[in-house]
Amino acid sequence: MSPEISNQSLLFLIIFVVVPLSLSYFYQLGMSKNIIVSSLRGTIQLFAIGYILTFLFDLNAFIGIPFMITVMIVIASFHARKKGKELPYVLPTIFFGLILVEVSVLSLWLLFDMVEFTPSEVIPMSGMVIGNSMVAMGLALERMKSEFTENSGRLLAALSLGAEPKQASHLIVQRTLNAALIPNVDRIKTIGLVQLPGMMTGLILGGVEPIMAIKYQLVISLSIFSSVSLSAMFVTLVMYKHFFTKNKQLLDSEEALKEYSSRG
Amino acid sequence: MIEFKNVSHGPLENLSFKIEQNDRAILFGPSGAGKSTMLFLFNRLKDPEQGEIFYKGKPIEEVPITTLRQKVGLLLQSPNLFPGTVLDNLKYGPSLTNSWEPGAEEKLLEYVQLPLDIKDRDVDHLSGGQQQRVSLARTLANEPEVLLLDEPTSALDNKTAEDIEHVLKELIEAHNLTMVMVTHQMDQARRLGTKGLFMHEGRIQETGELPGMLDDPKTKELKEYLQE
Repeated sequence: MSPEISNQSLLFLIIFVVVPLSLSYFYQLGMSKNIIVSSLRGTIQLFAIGYILTFLFDLNAFIGIPFMITVMIVIASFHARKKGKELPYVLPTIFFGLILVEVSVLSLWLLFDMVEFTPSEVIPMSGMVIGNSMVAMGLALERMKSEFTENSGRLLAALSLGAEPKQASHLIVQRTLNAALIPNVDRIKTIGLVQLPGMMTGLILGGVEPIMAIKYQLVISLSIFSSVSLSAMFVTLVMYKHFFTKNKQLLDSEEALKEYSSRG
Repeated sequence: MIEFKNVSHGPLENLSFKIEQNDRAILFGPSGAGKSTMLFLFNRLKDPEQGEIFYKGKPIEEVPITTLRQKVGLLLQSPNLFPGTVLDNLKYGPSLTNSWEPGAEEKLLEYVQLPLDIKDRDVDHLSGGQQQRVSLARTLANEPEVLLLDEPTSALDNKTAEDIEHVLKELIEAHNLTMVMVTHQMDQARRLGTKGLFMHEGRIQETGELPGMLDDPKTKELKEYLQE
């Protein structure tokens, strides 16, 4: 298979859009406009990012890489923040958490020569790490909020028995981390059996030998595994404290925000 | 033992009263009067917006919070047991201060009239009544001087509620515990309490000895409440 798809071939992609479009027409789903707009939008977005990446890959690595990683971390922070908007200090926590994760992972890649410090390698791989960490942090925040609500009775019981907030929330931290890690353990377990991971598929289509593609996939999969664990742990261990007052009293997430605003 | 001076918090308005040692006080009154909030103020699960609370003559803020909470034990409406075995739960409080003595479970389970062999059972496999007994034993493991009870039998069926009440009565009498209990059941108040505090719209409307104040209410509000 040739790694190059010609523009004429690309044009025939329209057929793939015609299928849902005709479905929408015949069954009067009222989605025709949406289907056309989203297909066009997706195409434009992808080409745009293609040109941006081409531009970045041509830049000096010491400019292109920090620039793009900063952009990715800022966007990811604002996105993950939505899951815990009502909590104090959530944005800086996520922001520093993502920096911590990215810097640790990148250092290991470079230290052990797994990845070269070139924009074409570091940027897409960092994108995957940051993207997955962002999702993990968002999930951890959401999970932690619901665990705090569901277990408020147990937390009160623990505090009333003389537990420090850290001891009282041990169970919640444990459950939040558990929930963040289980899907990843499962994903690693079935990797390559259920579906070929995206990066590997891409490399194979691009003409890379399967064994080489697998090596890259291993690097990225295990990097994601570890960064997802680190992100969830970081955000959980920093944020649980905001559910308590300095006098070791339990707050709900709204109260936490009120307390935070009143502290100025 | 515990004194409130002009305490206001949420629905509670300007409360002043004393709980003496060995008192068995019953807090009762219509829902929303702030009775549970009041229990939380006793062991600093909440701090009052205004006013002062004293524990054994000392302002409550001067007692280290965790010590206060161990000395002023609270039993919530639901058992809220921690995942694990009965023994894990009993050990929880004392383990926080490394003061758990192996074998202490024997005495604690006896207090709440549960068989010793229940100690290794997973708490998820206990009945509602057994769970509430374990919860009580867990509170007692800290050897509290004051026992706060927030409607401890309201989530249980009649028979189980009677059993728990019986356990409580024997415990309090045998150990001369100071108790503050919130309850909606007036017959329970008669059986367990020696002193009544009737709460109405955030204030203490009437106080008196039990069961006397229930037989001869002084205020219109208490009369109406008892008739309901």
